Amino acid sequence: MIKLPSIHIGKLSFLLAILVWLALLFVDMVRLFGLINDLNSGIVPEFTWILEILFFLTVYGFYNYSINKSTRNDFLNVIWRASSTGISASVLFLLVQLFKYVLEGSKLAQDPFLLNFFYHVHFALVTIFLISSAILWKNLILYQKTKRVVKQWQTFEIALLLGMFFIFFNQNTLDYSFLFGLVILGGLGIMLAGNLKWIPYLTFKEKWKSLLFLFLIILSTAYLFLQNSVFSNTQQIYPINLLDNLFLISLFVFIFVYALFSFLVTLFNLPTSSVFEQKLTEAINFQRLSQSIQPDENEEQVLDILIDSCMSAAYADAAWLEMNKNESGNEYVQERWIDAETREELSHLIEQSKSATDWATDQKPENLSPLSLRLFHEKYESVMLIPLVINKSVIGRLILCKEVRDGFNKEMVNIISTFARQASIAVENHRLLNQAIQNERYQEELKIAQRVQKSLLPVKLDHNDAFEICAYSNAADEVGGDYYDTFQLDTDRFVVIIGDVSGKGTSAAFHMSQMKGIFQSLIQLNLDAEQFMIRANAALGKCLERNHFITASIFIIDTAKKTFQHARAGHVPTLMLDHRNGKADYLGVDGLGLGILRNMQYEKHVEQKVFDYQPGDILVLFTDGIVEAKNQKSQQFGFERIRSLVEVHQQLNPREIQTKLIDSLHDYVGGGDGLIDDDYSLVVVKFNENYA
Amino acid sequence: MKIMLDISIQEEHPHHIIKIQGEIDASNSVQLDEKIRELAEQGSRSILVDGAQLEYISSAGLGVFMSYLEEFQEKEIQLKIYGLTPKVFEVFRILGLDQLISILPTKEAALQDS
Repeated sequence: MIKLPSIHIGKLSFLLAILVWLALLFVDMVRLFGLINDLNSGIVPEFTWILEILFFLTVYGFYNYSINKSTRNDFLNVIWRASSTGISASVLFLLVQLFKYVLEGSKLAQDPFLLNFFYHVHFALVTIFLISSAILWKNLILYQKTKRVVKQWQTFEIALLLGMFFIFFNQNTLDYSFLFGLVILGGLGIMLAGNLKWIPYLTFKEKWKSLLFLFLIILSTAYLFLQNSVFSNTQQIYPINLLDNLFLISLFVFIFVYALFSFLVTLFNLPTSSVFEQKLTEAINFQRLSQSIQPDENEEQVLDILIDSCMSAAYADAAWLEMNKNESGNEYVQERWIDAETREELSHLIEQSKSATDWATDQKPENLSPLSLRLFHEKYESVMLIPLVINKSVIGRLILCKEVRDGFNKEMVNIISTFARQASIAVENHRLLNQAIQNERYQEELKIAQRVQKSLLPVKLDHNDAFEICAYSNAADEVGGDYYDTFQLDTDRFVVIIGDVSGKGTSAAFHMSQMKGIFQSLIQLNLDAEQFMIRANAALGKCLERNHFITASIFIIDTAKKTFQHARAGHVPTLMLDHRNGKADYLGVDGLGLGILRNMQYEKHVEQKVFDYQPGDILVLFTDGIVEAKNQKSQQFGFERIRSLVEVHQQLNPREIQTKLIDSLHDYVGGGDGLIDDDYSLVVVKFNENYA
Repeated sequence: MKIMLDISIQEEHPHHIIKIQGEIDASNSVQLDEKIRELAEQGSRSILVDGAQLEYISSAGLGVFMSYLEEFQEKEIQLKIYGLTPKVFEVFRILGLDQLISILPTKEAALQDS
């Protein structure tokens, strides 16, 4: 085969084919001229044969290129091309005949050169038709490629190639060796002609069309072949026989047999073609159902496909779909070819049937299969109920109606229950996906809340050279209810506050932010500790939920007088280390939590005390999350442990003391913050020893 | 970690005794709230809480007792707690609830005190 490394292989081979044909014509004309004028042209027949083979190869090259490029798996188009080429060839030939007929009797009609020209035209047409059809048939035969078929085809091609050269062997005579070659090539062609797997894929309409085309191909093949023999019989006019070539005759046989087989098989496939089409539709429907629904799409689309698929699979006359109420309380009904009134009638009839009520109240919905019923309705005599089951519960049902009695066979039930299962899975996936997206959104919101809440705690703590201060807070959930803050009243006076909202999580976090607002406002008023708590209680009492309260401790430190004023509202007592004796003790001040008594009675339940401090003294403020943190034996961290830790580490600076406390807390619970299921905070104040 | 809580009610006319066993935290304080509300709606005049086997109470649990203070004062329903372990009593005391709710050492003391 000529493999030209050019990009225009199609055009090139087309041009070459024409040139070769012209050369062939010229050579034969010269030979004819020599014959008529008794001159020996000196051109051996082998020269013609070589040109003939070259012509075959170039035509093959052209079609192989152009057909492979244009047609892919469109069977009807393939057959149409073959038949159109056949018809064109036949019609052109008929025109030639007509021309001859018109010229009948005239001298021109007997002109050997003209006849020879026509002979060559016929040869070219036949070659083009046969080779192009053979390549088209190749596409059809190799539609479902298996190794065996490909090998067979390759053998056939090689045999055909050898067949072209056969002419050198038998010198263009019809002898036994020719017949032998024909039998071998014909046999190979017939074997290949059994590959007709493309036919079932045609639709009913396409089958009718292909029958017509195939018939035209058969007709033109037969006609062209018969014309061949006409030429063969009047061979003596022509200098050399081009048409009785083993290659061409074998191709005739192959094209004809394959067209005939295809014709017959298509014809006999016609009655069952609807079944194949149905199965194909079911497969496509199944595929559509199993494609998961996109999150922004609606699950009703899947249900839509489900109804259509089931109706077409069961040849149902009407159908409707009922979806049970979902969380948002929507009942969803979709009707097909049925009005609400008829639907009500049928629903009523179904409810009356005992097997249907048993079916509907089945204890194990996951095992539920479709149920066929016979109804006494004037129009619809049989119905089928198909459950839609998600996660072991029925979310809805599809009802198919048919006008004939017992209209649902086993195959329909099987395929429909598969459809329903698939649709349920798609709906379930859709719902799960939506849930996941929702959850993710909540997580995102919580992260924002966490960031906002972090910003409610002070970054910089107010103090002067008289004391150092540091603080730490950790929430059990994303957000928490613990709070601490500082405020500088004047050069020597500072407020330190710690607070804790009862409970934890989001509600505690909201109350914490209210607490911050109230505390920040009250601090500005320069109140004493007791007044601060009374006002805070009054304000918080108005905004806290009924069963929530807040505990808080306030310290108003006066670094000039070396005193601090302290009030405690239900908060865990503050630890104070006395630098002189190295002993730590909890400050004894009574006070009721904020928001518990929401009237003026609160005044009776809060007190303030003033304490002196010495340089080197330490104050440790914390929330109950630390005291109540439990180890694996369910024992609390407790007040005593905090006290002894502070006594042991009293020489350290506040930051180090804080680290020691938190580390031992983590060690105690046996891990990180994850094991402490309450918010906890810690503020350490240390009065400087060398501050005058 | 599953937190164990068992709440039972006994009637000892004219008192109702709520016996709490286990731990009360944010996750189960609703149970306590429901029991107390039930008794209040039944028209109980005196509710005694047996806290001898109450091992731990979180601030959410305290919130339950707290939330009935004003309502019970108005309706003249008595709420008393007795038998608390020192550790649990300390929690009530820190918050200051011991000043608002009668917390008594024993059942006898609770029955006499009225």
